[in-house]
Amino acid sequence: MMLARVADSLYWIGRYVERAEHMCRLSDVMLNATLDRSEAASQVARIALAAVGDADVAKAKNPYDAARALALDRDDDGSIFSSIALARENARQVRDQLTTETWERLNLIYLRMSDPEARRSFEDGSQLFLHDTIADLHLFKGAGDATMSHGEGWSFLLLGVYLERAQLIGSLLEVVFGDGRRRKPISDHFALTSVLRMGCALEPYLRAHTADMQPRLILKFLMLDEDFPRSIRFCTQEIEAHLSAIIRHAGMAGSVGPDRLAGRLRARMQYADMDEVEAQGPSAFLKTVLDECATIHRSLYDAFVAYPLEDRLPA
Amino acid sequence: MSVRRDEPASNVAAPAASTLAPYDEMLTPEGAVRPHYGALDARLSTLSADELAERQRTQERFFLLQGITFTVYGADSSTERIIPSDILPRIIPAPEWARIEAGLTQRLRALNMFLADIYSEQQILMDGVIPRELVLQAPSYRREMQNLYVPHKAYANVCGSDLIRQPDGEFAVLEDNLRVPSGVSYMLANREASRRVFPGTFRGAGVRSVDRYPDLLLTTLKGMAADWRPNPQVVVLTPGVYNSAYYEHAYLARLMGVPLVEGRDLVVHDNMVYMRTTTGLRRIDVIYRRVDDDFIDPLTFRRDSALGAAGLFNAYRTGNVVICNAPGTGVADDKAVYAYVPEMIKYYLGEDAILPNIETYLCREPAQLSHVLANLDKLVVKAVGASGGYGMLVGPHSTKAQQAEFADALKADPANYIAQPTIQLSTAPCLIDHAVEPRHVDLRPFILCGEKIVVTPGALTRVALRKGSLVVNSSQGGGSKDTWVLSETKGDHK
Repeated sequence: MMLARVADSLYWIGRYVERAEHMCRLSDVMLNATLDRSEAASQVARIALAAVGDADVAKAKNPYDAARALALDRDDDGSIFSSIALARENARQVRDQLTTETWERLNLIYLRMSDPEARRSFEDGSQLFLHDTIADLHLFKGAGDATMSHGEGWSFLLLGVYLERAQLIGSLLEVVFGDGRRRKPISDHFALTSVLRMGCALEPYLRAHTADMQPRLILKFLMLDEDFPRSIRFCTQEIEAHLSAIIRHAGMAGSVGPDRLAGRLRARMQYADMDEVEAQGPSAFLKTVLDECATIHRSLYDAFVAYPLEDRLPA
Repeated sequence: MSVRRDEPASNVAAPAASTLAPYDEMLTPEGAVRPHYGALDARLSTLSADELAERQRTQERFFLLQGITFTVYGADSSTERIIPSDILPRIIPAPEWARIEAGLTQRLRALNMFLADIYSEQQILMDGVIPRELVLQAPSYRREMQNLYVPHKAYANVCGSDLIRQPDGEFAVLEDNLRVPSGVSYMLANREASRRVFPGTFRGAGVRSVDRYPDLLLTTLKGMAADWRPNPQVVVLTPGVYNSAYYEHAYLARLMGVPLVEGRDLVVHDNMVYMRTTTGLRRIDVIYRRVDDDFIDPLTFRRDSALGAAGLFNAYRTGNVVICNAPGTGVADDKAVYAYVPEMIKYYLGEDAILPNIETYLCREPAQLSHVLANLDKLVVKAVGASGGYGMLVGPHSTKAQQAEFADALKADPANYIAQPTIQLSTAPCLIDHAVEPRHVDLRPFILCGEKIVVTPGALTRVALRKGSLVVNSSQGGGSKDTWVLSETKGDHK
């Protein structure tokens, strides 16, 4: 039993934390690319900016400013600062649901990013700043995993994490491999490793496929790998598992919609055929996946949070 | 590090009536350390100023990390600040505490009997002990509460009284807080912090534990519904995250293990109160509300309130839910009614008040008003309805213009004001900029009342951090510190 508002907040903590982490990683890769003055480097910057949803191509000319704004801009709802602030604001609203250990981790990140000195420490060492933020976000998830009850609340938090992650990776793949792209296909080794870095997938990919950088294998790995925690398939497995845990806790099996949607999406990923995906173009497949994620999000609200009261009043 | 001796009679402008030096919690007038402060004094003498400052910083960091903060809204940004917490504990020996405990128990018993009386037969008004219009015209009197069943006749379940120690060493009650008193989370957080700062001294002193407060609170709340529901569902109702005491609401909910709800989580249907959970509606039996009377139900009280739930009060009237504290308790901590509490104790219990009141002039009485007007430079004038250190005039620290302004206000609406002599609050040693200096303090203990009355052996000690200041409210530059209540038997055992 858990307040609907609380479940909603926990879910959004998961989403914002995941979003912040992903944005940190994109910025980090983008800044790393600026160290090289090659054509591939500016291609990477363009990909990163497109993946965060910033259409302004001019910014790619000055990736450092773009990264700083992405990290610390308080007025931009999409900045890392805003995501952290929103995660923490949600956490404050459900402070009684988080363990002190978990709360402290998130509060610490927030305090550091909202510190007047944050801008200076970003300028002193921007990659270190981003690296530390990612590490602290991992500590937050780790503290939650180690200290919070793995009950309904925990499942809502992780639902947020994995839905957000599936959508972020999906958008990234659309930018890199989608058909709508007018850029020439990415073949440069540096650009391809950068794409893997954006998905935090470089080392696991190397272990699976060696240093043989092939766009097709990269797409397949980030979409369909069974064990890599940032592949879309893995995310859908987790979404399905946490949804069924929530439904089990709630004792409402068979009466809700989101679990059916999640099961279908998981099956779609599990039995996807790479040749078919390529034949119809990755964009079409990715669009289906992203649409289904959005539908799951909506049906979560209908089932658990914003349900019509008339259905639930005692007779 | 040695304790700086108090400067002679604290300030130049002090009026003749209170030239008595304030009572020093640690030192006798001759400058000797009082026995119950001996261990702390010995420990302090082994620490350098830098070591103490380091401990102070550690403590502040602990508060910041825990999120024990309040938000200061500025022009274009908002920042979070901690309420300053001083590391040096204020210590109260067992015999003094025994008197406080007895006094508070007696007082809350009488106050609850008073509430039960004025919301039913009004015997005390008929007998002319308290002027009828003083009670019935107070804005905090709730006609809606008339003849309503309240379990155990416990109207005020959580009470936080403000005590001060007068120059002669006697504790007196400055104010009763019977609405939604706050500060208990600071008592608990200060304790958690001070245990880390002076672990050895703490262990040796035999400090009584305050850790059971959340558990006792839950028992009190459950006891309010035990008659009709075997395992009642308790919730804490908060105005939300923007309330300055939000941290405390979340803290208490967490430590009691009950849901923290907001008005928007509640649904009233058929005079039952439910909360919206992920699995549908769940019935609520007891609401520990941290929302003021005015805001709990837009149908009964303020129409523009979004903080409560429409229909809540009717559910309460029907007896399907218990609201703690009961609506309308504010009439018993009204600053004018306060003047009559000693008479109340006499009337209901046939006893003399153990803890005295501060002498209070009711400006509604013409004779007292003229006395107040003639002595504005010596008195503290308070608006009856205001709290938090607002709407008051501290005579000796005020300008002629402020006095003139208050004189006009007094003449315009005398019933709205009371006045009290300026009391020299006692002082306790505090760490101020690397030095230990005396600062004025008060004492807010917390009393629970359900089936029975329980006084938690500890308190929030509020500190006026500005030198010479007598205002301890956190909104006015006040801080707090831990309060050690010592047990009868000293040492490492209970």
